[in-house]
Parts: sequence; structure tokens; C-alpha cells
Amino acid sequence: MMTKTLEPTSTAARPSRFKGRLGAGTTLAMLAVMVLLPVVLPSATLATEILIFAMAALACNLLLGFTGLLSFGQAIFFGAGAYISALAMIHLNAGLVGALLIAVVVGAVLALGVGMLCIRRKGIYFVMLTLALTQMAYFLAYTLSDWTGGDNGLLDVPRPPLAVGDTTLISFDSPLAFYALVAVLFAVIYVVARRITDSPFGSTLLAIRENEQRASALGYDTRLFKVMVFVLSGGITALAGALYGMLLNFVPLSNIELLMSEQILIMTIIGGTGSLFGSLLGAGAIVLLGDLLSSIWPRWMLLLGVALIAVVIFMRGGLWGGLSSLLERRSKRTDGKEGDQ
Amino acid sequence: MTVRKTPLLLSALALGLVAQPLLAQDQEPLTFYGVKSLSGAFASYGKYAEMGSRLAVEEARTSLGRDIDYVSLDTEGNAGRAIRKVQEAINQDGARLFNGATLSSTALAVGKEVAGVEGVFMTPAGADELTGTECNASTFRWSVPTYGAIRETLVPLMEALPEAKRFYTITPEYVFGEALLDNAKAVFEEAGVEHVGNSYHSLQEQEFSGYLTNAMAASPDVLVLLNFGAQSSNALRQARNFGLNDQMDILMVWSAGLDQFEELGAANVEGIYFGAQYWHEVDTPFNNELVAAVRDAYDITPTYPLAADYTMTRVMLEVADQSGASTGPALIEALEGYTYQGPTGEETIRASDHQVIKDYYLLQGKAQDEMDDDDDYADVISAGQSFVAPEDSPCQL
Amino acid sequence: MLNVYLFQVLNGLGLGMIYFLISVGLTLIFGLLNFVNFAHGAFFLVGSYLCYTLVSLTGNFWLALVAGPLLVALLAWALERSLIQRIYHLPHTFQILVTLGIALIIQELSIMIWGPVGKSIPTPEALQGVVRIGNFAYPYYRLFLIGFSALVAVVLWLLLERTRFGALVRAGSESTEMVSLLGSNIFRLFSVTFALGVGLAGLAGVLSAPLRGAHPFIGPEVLGLAFVVVVIGGMGSFSGALVAGLIVGVVQSLMTSLWPQGASLMIYAAMAVVILLRPHGLFGRA
Repeated sequence: MMTKTLEPTSTAARPSRFKGRLGAGTTLAMLAVMVLLPVVLPSATLATEILIFAMAALACNLLLGFTGLLSFGQAIFFGAGAYISALAMIHLNAGLVGALLIAVVVGAVLALGVGMLCIRRKGIYFVMLTLALTQMAYFLAYTLSDWTGGDNGLLDVPRPPLAVGDTTLISFDSPLAFYALVAVLFAVIYVVARRITDSPFGSTLLAIRENEQRASALGYDTRLFKVMVFVLSGGITALAGALYGMLLNFVPLSNIELLMSEQILIMTIIGGTGSLFGSLLGAGAIVLLGDLLSSIWPRWMLLLGVALIAVVIFMRGGLWGGLSSLLERRSKRTDGKEGDQ
Repeated sequence: MTVRKTPLLLSALALGLVAQPLLAQDQEPLTFYGVKSLSGAFASYGKYAEMGSRLAVEEARTSLGRDIDYVSLDTEGNAGRAIRKVQEAINQDGARLFNGATLSSTALAVGKEVAGVEGVFMTPAGADELTGTECNASTFRWSVPTYGAIRETLVPLMEALPEAKRFYTITPEYVFGEALLDNAKAVFEEAGVEHVGNSYHSLQEQEFSGYLTNAMAASPDVLVLLNFGAQSSNALRQARNFGLNDQMDILMVWSAGLDQFEELGAANVEGIYFGAQYWHEVDTPFNNELVAAVRDAYDITPTYPLAADYTMTRVMLEVADQSGASTGPALIEALEGYTYQGPTGEETIRASDHQVIKDYYLLQGKAQDEMDDDDDYADVISAGQSFVAPEDSPCQL
Repeated sequence: MLNVYLFQVLNGLGLGMIYFLISVGLTLIFGLLNFVNFAHGAFFLVGSYLCYTLVSLTGNFWLALVAGPLLVALLAWALERSLIQRIYHLPHTFQILVTLGIALIIQELSIMIWGPVGKSIPTPEALQGVVRIGNFAYPYYRLFLIGFSALVAVVLWLLLERTRFGALVRAGSESTEMVSLLGSNIFRLFSVTFALGVGLAGLAGVLSAPLRGAHPFIGPEVLGLAFVVVVIGGMGSFSGALVAGLIVGVVQSLMTSLWPQGASLMIYAAMAVVILLRPHGLFGRA
């Protein structure tokens, strides 16, 4: 049988007392980072993109890092969230809250369907199933060009203000204002995700990741848990997709491509699976790397390849793993398993 | 609707009136942004486009005698990234002058962003919508739309091959392909030739044997390829492989020109008809200068992306300098109706939809032993201009 | 006159043999090593580019046909020794990541070496021309491809079924401990199988080069196709790859006459349905 459980990553398997202290620390660090990002970075727009992808990576992390599900399906939810919210705004005149809510609901419902199908299979079959569904979603979006704009993309996506009736409360036309909106939403999601992962629900997920058979023998309906994580992850990813559409005023077809799933996965893993703060690090690192290097050295994606390999071989916990072991001032690596036998 | 033919000789004789450098000093530096796909999947285009813009900026620094900052924004082959970087340049640095964008989706979205701040954006991308249904005051487009690409290839081809009566088309199934197909059908009908069939294929198809089989079954006189890029290269390679070129003539309506011929090699190019936006052997003063300058600067022959982005950059900088308007509505007004000597001869920016009125070429591939030099892949069969008349265009600015 | 659908079936069978060649290496490596190679398409790419370089240097396609796959296999062997060996014991997730990384590196290196614009490789002179059947034509080169792929299939089958190496591979697919107990060096067996599987991707790349040329971004497309074939046939199944390759080839070819827009959608839908209904594929072991 080829199904293997995911190995614990360095951070998630630590004693809870330390984790607790670190947890409170990271929430503070997260707030600090969010305030500093638009100041330190050349633009609020760049900071917004980082947070949007951090949100998508965080959602991916719930599946991969906390439940052990490697899914290439995240682009389905990201793309669907972007399309649905944009269409709701364009055709139904939906406002900001309405558009975001619709995205979350549709993302969650889609994830329910995708999740229920995919969790019927494990291991590599699960991965292949998510891959096939993403390809199908892409071809569907491409075929439905009357709605999605097909290859040209969906243009003229508005960025509506927060309004009550016809009264505009906050306009998000300025990049900084929109950043603030995204930051607030990200903070809420981060705190909620933290609560969830620290709750008994979260411990069950970890138990499923460590050993699904044992979890199931203990009386947990592991399938139900997996589907619930899918729904959670799908909703958050769709929200990120919707915000991305509003940021760009545009939904490119590439939002729903396999490559988008791959990109979100890479951010999650380089940041550190099993660490919510790591998702922010990962998204930030990849977006910034592209921004800084691409005009200097067009072949910069080669470094992404090297980074992926390096994370697996030397730093299984990703950037967060590296950072937290520095913080711990422990010279000893928690994970010494790799190497030749 | 206007169908005007410019004899090649006439455009060749037209004198290039290159703008004289103004003696103005102490002017504000012009800052110019190039949206180029340097990394990612469209690097083959962006690499040359960037060379073109850089060369034009370099030249303008001397010829106009003023400071010009050039900033390239790498799209990373990703429309989303491209838009974010354009927004950033607009909001952070007050950028207003843009050119480039290979992908239609990127070009359409960049056009919208730039229009939002009344800047200027000039692009060589292919979508008809740019100067059609999605046109706006800020977007200018250098390349000939599908209407002209079809007219200027099919009509002269029919003249060259009067006995050809049966045409088969292979079309990528999306907006751009449909536009080419609709225009082709109209030409078939006007000419009274038979459109014996069409095969649609998806945007990611690389295997064409099935579609070529359909084409064989319809036994046409001419096979018309309406796809572009890697897909048209593969369709052509495989058509040759199936010996279709012995049974029928083949026309690739939307070829990329020199870099695609280099990719295909002379053996594949020989005898095939190609439509092209630019050809380095066209004898116009501007083009001769460009070819010399590119050989001098980069030791290569200019390709279509290089020539397109060079021309757009040069025109924008010159007009900005001449009119004294470096940004916004004033520059748009100065560009509207502007006529200049470009690589294809006299080129005019139409005011009604911001489409550049220029020649499109029908080329025919040469046999390897007839090539005068390494880049002499094809002869120009005809050149001419066909554009939807302003009153028939969906774009009314 | 020959019916177009009949000809599409024949063409599809030809296509299917190429698909078999593209996927058989992937399934072999998965079968023995339980290793998921997301760099399979990238190695195909290297094969195509090596074919271009060797043909441009020597003008001899046959030399490229021998040397190309061998060089790819050598590269794979070196990679296996230095890197892949360290990650066999890791979950598939990590294998996918590492091989994705390798694929990215290969893609970018290819652009650095061969440039961003694609290359064409001429059809070998002896195989130019077509067979005419009524209205239709079929290239000699594609006929050669079918014959050659069939030969590769037979040789591989003999290797797996009739040799000690094959017996070890088959035993190893069941249980690696067993092979170790038999006193064989399991690591050498792994290295050789990995090199063989990747070398087959290189071979497919070399053989496809005259049809499709070499282009730096063909990797993901080839990988996707290989996964479809391998999943439908059953991961790790040799005969599955053959039959599924033929099925996918025929379906794809027929779809071009029936409903071309839906061809890709159909193929991935079929893949999803097979995983859901028969997870081990049409021919996989349960």
C-alpha cells in the first residue's frame, strides 16, 4: 500500500507550552508585520498582493500543514471566488460585503463538493484527483467565455466602497485604504484560524495527519473532519481570490490555472507547513523575490526550484521552521531524519 | 469600409521625416515604462521587445537631447503580476507613459488601468477589443487587427492563386481565433470561393494530426492556419510531415515573422505563405535605419517584437517631446491623427479608435539555397492596409 | 474512399504509441520506487533539446536517438545518486516538491542554454515522405514511430518478465524488503530503474522532436498527459500504460472530428472518473 502519513514538521510537533508562548508572540508579530508592510515595502499595492496570497497560503496550510492533504485544487476556489464576486458586482450590482460574502459561500460550497469527491481517495490518488478537477475547472472557465471573458480575462471589475444604502462609509480607491481592508480581513482570518487549530477540532486534524487510521479507530469520523477543513479552506481561498480581483480590477484566466495551485502550494511550503505565520512568510518571500529579481535576472525562477529542494532536504519546517529554531536558540535540529542510509 | 492598397514601391519611396531634435534644455525628464514579459512563459517575446524599447530610449536621449528614464516592468508571464506592477508605478511614481504587453489579456487590463489616470499606453497585442469594443482614450495599438490581417493575406493570395477555390481553416477556439475566422468567412463569401470546412482546437493543443486528417478529408486547395505562436509552428511542422504542402498551399495568417521562421527553420518555411506585421527586408528609410541600428547595437536582425516596441517607444517619445506634453490628455491629443514614417512606411494613428494605420504583409518562404543571408527566409508578395472604417468600428472615442 | 473516422482511429493508435512512450517511464518508476516524478515532462524536454543539439552538430538523427536517451539516463542516474535517493522514504508530498523544483530548474536552464525561442528538428532523411491511402496520407516517420515504440514495448516487456532484473523490479514493487532479503543491492536496483524510467522520457522527447520541435515550456503539458495515461492505466502498470495510451490517443483523435473543444475536458474528466470508480486504474493491482 502506498499511502503514507505526512511526517510531523518541526514546529507543529513541539510541546504545547512553548507553542503557546510562541503562538501569542506570533499573533503580535503578525500585527506588527501588517502595520509595517506598507511602510517598509515600496508600495501598498505590493503589500496587498502579499497579504492576499498569504491568505490563500494560510488556507492551503489548513489542508496541507494541519490535515496532511496535498491539494492541487486551490486554484478552483481562488478562481471561482474571483469570478463570482466580480460577476455579482458587474451584473447584480452587489456591494463590497455582498460580493465578498458570495465569494466565500460559493468557495465553501465548491470546496464541499470537491472535498467530498477527493477525500474518497488517499495519497497520490487524492493528489491526482485534485489535479484533474483543477484542469477541468480551467477548461470550463475557458469555455464559458461569455461569462469569464475566456482568455482575455474578465475586465472592469469594480472595487466598491463600504456603504450603507447609498451612503459611502469608506472608499477603497486609494491603495492604502484597500490594503487596510485586506489587512483587517487577514487579521480576522488569522485569529479565527489560530483559534480553530488550537481547538480540539485542530488537535483532531493533527491526529488525522499523523495517523488517520488511529484517529478513526478513536471514533473520529475522519472524513467529516477532512470535508470540514476543505470547506473552511475553500471559503478563505475564494475570499482571497475575490480580493485579488478587486485589487487588479481584473480577473485573468490564470487565476484558475493549475499553475496558480502550484504557486499557492509553493508559498505554503516554503513558508512552513503547519505554521500559519509561515504562510505570511512564504507568500512574502515568493512575491518579493519575483519583484526584486525578475527585472535583474529573468531566469530567477531557477532559484524557486533550488529553494523547493532546499526546503525538503535541509529545512523541512520552511522559513518559519528556520526562524523558530533560531528563536529557540537550539542548535539541535528537531528533524534529523534525512540523509543517506 | 476602406480597402486601400499601397504599392510597395510607393511606401519605399516615401521619405522618412525623422523628427528633428529640439534644442530645448532644462526640460523635465521623461519617464517611460515598458511592460515586458522578461521571465516566465512569454520570454521569447519580451526579450526582443525589451531590446527594442531600450534602443529607442537610448537613441532618443541623444536625438532629443533630454533626460529619459526608462523602467521595465516584468510581467513574469502573468497578467495579474503585470497589472499590480503597473498600478504600483502609477500610484507610487506617478507613471503615465507605458508601452508593451504581449498577452491580449494583459494589454486589455493595463489599458484600463492607464485610462483610469488618463495616461498613455501603446501596445502591439493582438486582441481586436483593444481598438474595438474595449477601446478607451488612453490605449493605442500598433499592430493590424484581425480584419486587416485576413484581408491583406487572403485577398492577395487569391490573386496569386486564381485556381484555388476550396479553403479549409484551422482555428483556436477563443475570441481571437473566432475573430480571424469570421473575417475569413466574409472574404470567402465575397470572393465566391468555397469554405470546405473548419477545425476548432483548444488553446493548449499541440498535437494536430487529427485536425490535419479532417483537412485532408475535405481536400482543399488552400489550408489556412488561424492559430499563432507555438501552436501555429506545430500545426505547420505536422502539416509538412503529413505532406500536405504537396497537395495544397498553406497560409499562416498571423505569423510572428523572423523569430518564428528561425524556430521553424528554412526547410519548414519554404513555399509556405505567411501574414506578418513586420518584415526586416521592407525598404523604407525608417526600417533601413532600424536594421542598421539593431545590427550595430545587438548584432542581430530586428524581429517583430523588437521592431514593434522600438517603433512605439520612439513615436511616443518624439510626440511627447514635440508637443511638450509629457503626460495625460495633451499627449493623447497630440498622438491622435499623428502621421510619421515608420518601419512599414507612412503610418498614421487614427483618432477615432487609436488604431495605427499601417501595412500588413503577405510573405512567401524561400528555399534554403535561394536565401541571400541567414535571415532572408521569405519574399514579400504584397503589402497593404485594410481597416474597418471608423463609422463601422465598435469603438467611438 | 476511406472514412475519416476510420482514419482518425488509425491515427489515434499511432498517437497512442507515442503517449505510451511518454508515460511508461513514469509508471515504471512509480511501480518500483513508489516515487512520484513531477519532473518527468522536464526530462522529456531535455531529450528534445539534446536531439536538436546532436542533430545540428552531427546531422545524424540516429546518433541522437541512441545518445540522447543515454545522456538523459546518465543525468537521471547522477540526480538519483545525489538527491533522489535521499527522498525515497519521504511522503509523496515531499517527492512532488523536490521534483517540481527539479522541473523548474531544468526549464530555466534550458532557456539559458537554448534560448527562449523554440527549435525545429528535421525529420530524418530516410523517413521523409508519406504513404498515401486514398485521400489520406500518413507520414513514414509516424509509421516508424509506431514500429519503434512497439519494439520498445516488447523489449521492456521481455526485460521485466524474462530477466533477473525484471524479476527484482517486480518483486521490489511488491515489497522492497523482499529484494533486500534476496541479497540484492536494492539501492543499485533503484538507481538503474530510475535512470531507465527517466531515460524513456528522454527517448520520447527525442522521438517527438521532429513532430513538435523543442520548446522550453512543453514540460507541464507532457507531464499532464503522462499522468492521465498512467492513472487511467493504473499507476505502476506496464500493460496499463500501453492500453491507456492507445485509448487516450484514439479518443483524442476521434474527438477532433466530433467535439474538439471538449477533448481536454473529456480526458481529465475520464481521469477523475477512473480514480473515483477504479482507483487502481484499468490494469492496476488492487
